[in-house]
Amino acid sequence: MARLVRKSPSLCTDLPLDNDDISTKLNLLRKLLTSCFGPTGKLKQVHNNVGGHVVTTSTSSVLLPAVSSSQPFVNLIKTSILNHVSRFSDCGLFAAALCLALTERAKQSGLGGNVAIGLNQHLLSLCVGYLQRDDCGCKVKLDFCSSQNLMTLARSVISSKPACVLTEQETLHLSRLAVQAFLLTVPCDSPGTVTLGRTVTVPVEGHSVLNSAVFPGLLVDITDAIYPIKAGTLNSNLLCTVLFSASLAGDLSELGDGIIEVHDGADPDSQILDQLLEIGKQVVKDEVKLFLCQKVIHPVLQQYLRSQGIIVIERLGMSLMEPLIQMTGAQPVAALHTTLPVKAYGKVRELTLRQFGSKTMLQLHPPGESAICTMVLCHRNETMLSELKVVCLKTEHVLRLTLREPSALLGGGCTETHLAAYIRHKSMSKAAETALELGCSQTEYHLGTEVFCRSLESVAAALEHNGGNSLIDLTHAHHWILPADVMREYGEESFGFCGCGLVESSPSKRWTYLNTNYTEFSPESLCGNATQQPRVLDSFVAKLNALQVAVETANLALDVRYIIQDVN
Amino acid sequence: KSVQHFCFKHVLQTVCALEAVVLRSFGPQGGQVLFTRDTGQAMLSCSGTHILTALHLEHPLARMVVECVRKHSTATGDGSKTFILLLASLLRMIHTIACKEPNVSHTYNSREAAEAATARHLADKLLVFALEEMNSLVAKGVVPYGYCVLWEDFTTETQSLPHTNNHGVQKLLSSFFHTRLGYTHCDLISNLTCRLLQQLKFNNDQPSLALQFVNDNFPALHTPVTGFPISCSRLIEGQVIHRDFFSVWSERSLECFLESLQSLGVSVLFCALKQSPAALASAAQAEMCVVECISEDELSLFVKLSGTTPVSDCSTIEPANIATLTFCHRILLGVHRYDNVLVLCGPGEGQTDQYACAIQDAICMMLTTYGQSGKTVDTSSNSPPYQRGRILPGCVIPAGGIFEILLNHAILHHRHAVSESADIGIDAVPQLLANALLTVPQQIYSNNLRHFLQIQSRILRYLPNQSHTLHFPYKEEEIPVEGVSMLDTGLESVSCKYELLLAVLQCLRSLLRVDMVLCTQTALHARSQRLANISWEGTEDEPDD
Repeated sequence: MARLVRKSPSLCTDLPLDNDDISTKLNLLRKLLTSCFGPTGKLKQVHNNVGGHVVTTSTSSVLLPAVSSSQPFVNLIKTSILNHVSRFSDCGLFAAALCLALTERAKQSGLGGNVAIGLNQHLLSLCVGYLQRDDCGCKVKLDFCSSQNLMTLARSVISSKPACVLTEQETLHLSRLAVQAFLLTVPCDSPGTVTLGRTVTVPVEGHSVLNSAVFPGLLVDITDAIYPIKAGTLNSNLLCTVLFSASLAGDLSELGDGIIEVHDGADPDSQILDQLLEIGKQVVKDEVKLFLCQKVIHPVLQQYLRSQGIIVIERLGMSLMEPLIQMTGAQPVAALHTTLPVKAYGKVRELTLRQFGSKTMLQLHPPGESAICTMVLCHRNETMLSELKVVCLKTEHVLRLTLREPSALLGGGCTETHLAAYIRHKSMSKAAETALELGCSQTEYHLGTEVFCRSLESVAAALEHNGGNSLIDLTHAHHWILPADVMREYGEESFGFCGCGLVESSPSKRWTYLNTNYTEFSPESLCGNATQQPRVLDSFVAKLNALQVAVETANLALDVRYIIQDVN
Repeated sequence: KSVQHFCFKHVLQTVCALEAVVLRSFGPQGGQVLFTRDTGQAMLSCSGTHILTALHLEHPLARMVVECVRKHSTATGDGSKTFILLLASLLRMIHTIACKEPNVSHTYNSREAAEAATARHLADKLLVFALEEMNSLVAKGVVPYGYCVLWEDFTTETQSLPHTNNHGVQKLLSSFFHTRLGYTHCDLISNLTCRLLQQLKFNNDQPSLALQFVNDNFPALHTPVTGFPISCSRLIEGQVIHRDFFSVWSERSLECFLESLQSLGVSVLFCALKQSPAALASAAQAEMCVVECISEDELSLFVKLSGTTPVSDCSTIEPANIATLTFCHRILLGVHRYDNVLVLCGPGEGQTDQYACAIQDAICMMLTTYGQSGKTVDTSSNSPPYQRGRILPGCVIPAGGIFEILLNHAILHHRHAVSESADIGIDAVPQLLANALLTVPQQIYSNNLRHFLQIQSRILRYLPNQSHTLHFPYKEEEIPVEGVSMLDTGLESVSCKYELLLAVLQCLRSLLRVDMVLCTQTALHARSQRLANISWEGTEDEPDD
């Protein structure tokens, strides 16, 4: 008899943004995430309730999955941000901070839900339009002829993650490595569609960060190899390579649930071993020098191959397979029954032994031009190393995004303050018509603009965590920080440079605190004079998308009027 | 207590509670509803049906209402929120009348029973009135003020200017999406849907067939992609097979099969099942691409588009199983690779689902609009031709409660015409229906009641005393209600509205005909009863009366 379980009725919440519990939770989330923001952000430790591994981080992609809430409203925002991070790697905290600030301020402003949504959407399109213009004042064109800007971009990403605990020198070293690895993965002369190569990261614990390095080709861990590789075999020309993706352990696991009928007297084990040795013989005949297998190789086969002077490496793992295929040009062999086709063989130019602490690695050099490289990352302890690994992956992704759009945005909060000033100025000029177009009153329009701009500025101000004050200059609308221990005097000596390092303070400059009202002005662009190079840059593609995701998610949050939770 | 006597008040309270939920996402001021499934997955929707089913109501009558709404919305794709609104307002009005005159007969032993009897009687009358008169009333009182959106115009004319927001179909879709997705994205999605409909060029010009095709194959015709802003949604030519390519290599057992494929010149092989890497084999040697694990939806669409028959037995392969692909390339959507329709982007999975559902319902709504091949009801020989009740396929009317205001006027007008001859007792029914209809526009303009009165008076001022002198306008420029078109509220389908009204009255009747509820006892009952109490406290924010 079928058992019928009755569904229990759902839990309902009316007008979630008016709900105290939800508002508190959102406020908490905003404080949690903004406190991690930027190079001086505070670190968070993630423990689970049964002890064990502790993660120290300030990265949104690590932090957000750890924040679990029973409140679907909070999860809605979390998921949006995480989806952005999974696509673009960078600007997750920016998106979260902006989204939550916008939601909170729009609610406090008392604007009607749909009016606020319409205004946000309109202002977002103004922002996006401005950022995509060629004369945008907070955009920098990237010049691939020099690595200067790429280095700055990489350094900004790496230095924005304080949980890596890096010195200035180490940050510089890593940014150099990141740019080097990125350049190695861009193929030089391949006609037609360009396929980017990849960087394989090998973490090594217990070494100075300065020992980290980038190598062309692949590094394979052979620490467990039972015999020393003779130096003689390492330097012959173009080693013929075979790559197996099937297990060569001689087991029958791949058959699944099938039934094997064995004739009386037949020994399946020895027959399979014979089959394996058959492969071995063919490999020897074809003069293969390097024998690679994703899975396990039967010891007898290993022994046989080695006795023939072949270098055998097993248990490569899934992740190394694709780079190996790309680099060597070998076709992975999945079946054991057929003779190996000649075109399945690949090539490796030479092998070099590398030692990293207790790890012994074998470097496989690519036979020709290849876009595969390996980055060995060293750090003093496991926690910092795991954060460093995440950061390096992000940096690689951010650098790759520059290929899609060779621009970067000014960092250090300058883009946010500049955008806010631009929006204030722009929205003032056609207030009456735009308000009519959007179907709201002019008062509502000004209120909505103020909410939007203040939210943007609050994100810039969130970069400062040590009690300093955020200011904006009234010519370029860049972001300045007045440290807490400096006397409140507007003197030239108080500020050196703005957040991104493009503008230097001068006696003629005027500033105002970020959260004060200032008369709107059209922010001047600096791109004409290239006397200064920006010191902090953000990824254009990632930030633009983050801006869009943040505003859209805030709009979504403002649009939710009812929550129904299925509690079954 | 296993037997509950039917109590009119309970029904009213139940439906009013449902109305309170639905109102949150009704009309231009409405927002969205966030809900979580029992799996923990979150989902957003403005769809009335989704909201109501997600409540998992305990009350048997409430469940009955939800079931009626669900049935109506699967049939027409539209109007589930208006359904509840109308039902609640009808019930409230019936309640007022029944309370006023419960002593229709003295055979009932309690006041409640008498009330219930009056209500039942009224509901029956309403349905009868609707079935008999409504079609002609709509045809005479509403249709002349709408116009016909011709499908042929849509498929040919707008091809050159896909971004203009002028065509009726586009407006119709746009206002539909407005009620479903909020107004920020309705234009974008309606543009996409229009272009989807236009680009699927069909040999037959019959709109209902084309729409039916999209309706049937929608799962395979769209691809949800998360993590991008919604504005990245776009239309892609060709079919997206949601699988990665596998380049596979060799084995003996399949060689024969592949040889025969090769002899037929096959270079791409589609299969529905997962192939084990070792057993699949030699396709790569034969320079053949294999796409495996194709979902049934996609495969069936492919079969339809290409006119092939799928291979079921590997030993017999004929040329009939082979299709020619004009192109086949990978497209990169986020982290997934696809072979190469409609790509829907959204920040989260819940949203892309919402868009997909909304588009599917829109197609269903269009199907209802065009599917009706002119229902002719009032064709008695003595009536003059202009009075024949016909709701033409594709007939639309400006949205924003215009339908209800016009129909309200038509009913009242009709009543005056009739009441000169007939007795006054019949009056109550059409009057009741007419008043109930007005609650819809009242709710639409709930934030600004003055606005509602302005619109109503503007429309009524325009209405001529004898509507039959008007010709049926076919062009948009001829919309007579010029005051309304200024509002730019979009369009809605007349036949959908008509179907909705009938569905509501049918639901009302079956609801009021219930006289006793028998609860069969199960062990689970006690537990869920307790939970029911908890949640009803949450829902019944404003239990009327």
